Amino acid sequence: MFDTLAANAHLLVSGAQMTLFLSAASAVLATAAGVLLALIQLYGGLFGRALAEIFLYVMRGVPLLVMLFSIYYVLPYVGLDIPPLAGGILVVGLYFSAFMAEVFRGAILGVQRGQWDAARALGMHGHRLMLIAIVPQAVRLAGPPYVNTCIMLVKGTSLVSIIGIWELTLAGRQIVERTLSAFEIFGGVAFLYFVICFALSCYGRHLERRLRYAQS
Amino acid sequence: MNFTVIERNFPLFLEGLRVTVELSLLAIVLALLWGLVIVFARTSKFAAFRILARSYLEIVRNTPVLVQMYFIYFGSGIAGYPISGYAAGLLALTLQNGGYFSEIYRAGIESVGPGQREAGRALGMLPHQVSGIVVLPQALRRVIPPISNQGVIIIKDTSLVSALSVAELTYQSKILADRTAATYEIFITLALFYILITTVFSGALRLLESRVRVVQ
Repeated sequence: MFDTLAANAHLLVSGAQMTLFLSAASAVLATAAGVLLALIQLYGGLFGRALAEIFLYVMRGVPLLVMLFSIYYVLPYVGLDIPPLAGGILVVGLYFSAFMAEVFRGAILGVQRGQWDAARALGMHGHRLMLIAIVPQAVRLAGPPYVNTCIMLVKGTSLVSIIGIWELTLAGRQIVERTLSAFEIFGGVAFLYFVICFALSCYGRHLERRLRYAQS
Repeated sequence: MNFTVIERNFPLFLEGLRVTVELSLLAIVLALLWGLVIVFARTSKFAAFRILARSYLEIVRNTPVLVQMYFIYFGSGIAGYPISGYAAGLLALTLQNGGYFSEIYRAGIESVGPGQREAGRALGMLPHQVSGIVVLPQALRRVIPPISNQGVIIIKDTSLVSALSVAELTYQSKILADRTAATYEIFITLALFYILITTVFSGALRLLESRVRVVQ
């Protein structure tokens, strides 16, 4: 009954490897850009803050697919020739950096007032105050929502299949076009996504439990 | 920049806008209702319902909505009961976001502290009165902002049905971009349309929130 799936399993597995690579690369970019955006939002000058807000507003209002189409169609006309894979990673990374910025900003603001006061009372200020007192607590607070955003990002990478980047979803579509076993193959594709995302969400729950334990 | 292409094809954009708005509203309303069913199952007295609801949540949360759409669309066709891309997209969006909404409802109910329930009981209210008069109105206020966020995600995700050839905003723009060379102008217009829809939607919900908020 699962003959087609068994015969094509190797393709799906290499598709899943590509999805993992895409997710890891765009997650690194999203994290770096997200931290930067959160810091600008909190401590930047007026001009920087305005720029960051405009960027975030656009990223929150425009669908990921539309942005992927934009680079796919627009860049060749501008004469910029970046490889599709790099373009996909760039767009997915920047799109999710907006969500990451929200996570990090919330985490820094979530550190209680008293912690800032206590650190200042001990004579800390500037980067020592941030690095020794605030950041370690903010990282802990950011853990669970960060993992949730990573799950959204892994699922979001499936959209690059529409602009022709070969990964798990496109691998599935190609096999279905050849074999017509939609349930089996897309079931297999969904299962592989499930394995990746479920592992992440278990880790997120683990972080959440640890956070609750640390706070009690 | 030359916006005459946009001007000449404006009816096409408006037709796409109509389909996008209609699909978004349908998906949001159906997902809100489906979420209610799931949260009832999730908090049911019967373990079987609870386990079913939990498994359902894990599956829809950890697989991409695009793969769910493909599964329903291509699967239904091959099974001999073909449904339209529009219906497949609506179904996938409802199934996935119903899961997210049920979690939002649950968090909203849990955020009303146990002291509120006890106070209700102490005033001689019956259990259903405590739920209806004390807990639900407070929970309702707290779920509006996360519902607004999820609604924006649904609006943006309707762009995915363009991969099933549904003639909504993204699909129309893509066709236009293939036919003319005015890719810049087309994708800028497309992005502005989405920003407009999401801004109107979240603005409306903020208005609703300010109407139901009470001084805490």
